[in-house]
Amino acid sequence: MVDDLSKLRESLNRMPVPEPREGFVDRVLANASSEIRRPFNWWAAGLGALAATLACVALLWRPADSTQQASVRLALNESRDVSLVIESERALEDATIRLYVTGSVELAGYEQQHEIEWKTSLTRGANLLSLPVIGRTPGDGKVVAEIEHDGRTRRLNVALHVAAPGDDSA
Amino acid sequence: MSDSSAVEFDLLMRGHVRPLYRYAYRWTGDVDQAEDLVQETLTRLYSELPRVRQIERIRPWAARVMYRIFVDQLRRARRSPVVYVGRSGATGEFLEGEDEPVEASDEAWNPEVLTDQAFELERITAAWARLHEQHRVVLSLHEIEGYSLDEVAHIIEVPVGTAKSRLNRARNRLRTLLNDGTNSSAPACNSPETQ
Repeated sequence: MVDDLSKLRESLNRMPVPEPREGFVDRVLANASSEIRRPFNWWAAGLGALAATLACVALLWRPADSTQQASVRLALNESRDVSLVIESERALEDATIRLYVTGSVELAGYEQQHEIEWKTSLTRGANLLSLPVIGRTPGDGKVVAEIEHDGRTRRLNVALHVAAPGDDSA
Repeated sequence: MSDSSAVEFDLLMRGHVRPLYRYAYRWTGDVDQAEDLVQETLTRLYSELPRVRQIERIRPWAARVMYRIFVDQLRRARRSPVVYVGRSGATGEFLEGEDEPVEASDEAWNPEVLTDQAFELERITAAWARLHEQHRVVLSLHEIEGYSLDEVAHIIEVPVGTAKSRLNRARNRLRTLLNDGTNSSAPACNSPETQ
């Protein structure tokens, strides 16, 4: 069955590889040498949007403002995935993400924990971070997501309101 | 580093950029990720220019550096709650502990799957997208790029026996996916000859 293996190799070799974007070779070679000498500037393209479950709240990056805010309403004891979409102009290794959870909400699986931090890599484009938020007590709460890389920080604030029983505004 | 270093780096690496991109695309299945992977690799190599000068065969060495970066990215991705949008279909766990020998299985290839070249290309492309990244790596390096098993083992930094068993697992998995009638990317008009 060596022949079959050789046919398979032929097929594998025919698998198309899409062309990289125009100017790729020149660009990556230039970037490789220049990134060591110049400040990192990917934040110029910024962070993207924030959405909450089905109610998408899109926030555009504003260069002059490092903080964005959106709001979500929850019923008491309701659990809902709040999705943060982090847009990065390029892949980043060793980005630090910190979550600060305050007020009347908690993150499922991290009860009693008000600050969570981890390192991750971000791909170019949209990176989705889904946070399982629970409304614990009526009132206001907040989740702040802070993304830090190379000494630069961007922050997304999610204001949450947990409605009291009988409050139909949630 | 100086501009002359940048020129030297360009001369040393220019001929390897497209092949590295080709490897990266086959590993990641995504143009953006492949470009980023090559960029990260070149950035790292540039910081090691004195060493690059002394490397006799740059391409496999660069592939090894790129593979390390790729594996680091996979490990981080799987430890983190961040879900990456736009990745291709592979979702398996990172492969480790594969030292046990696996019998070569060339005889298990089903000749029927190789009859219609155009359709077969679609089937292979779809099956490839569902392969585990580590299987794509060894198959692309050995079956497509023609690296020997010793070279593949060197690039992915495992013993030759592990590389061989991983390659056989990858072939088996690809064969299974090719023969899998539930292959989600296969055209709906499958001919009986290729089922």
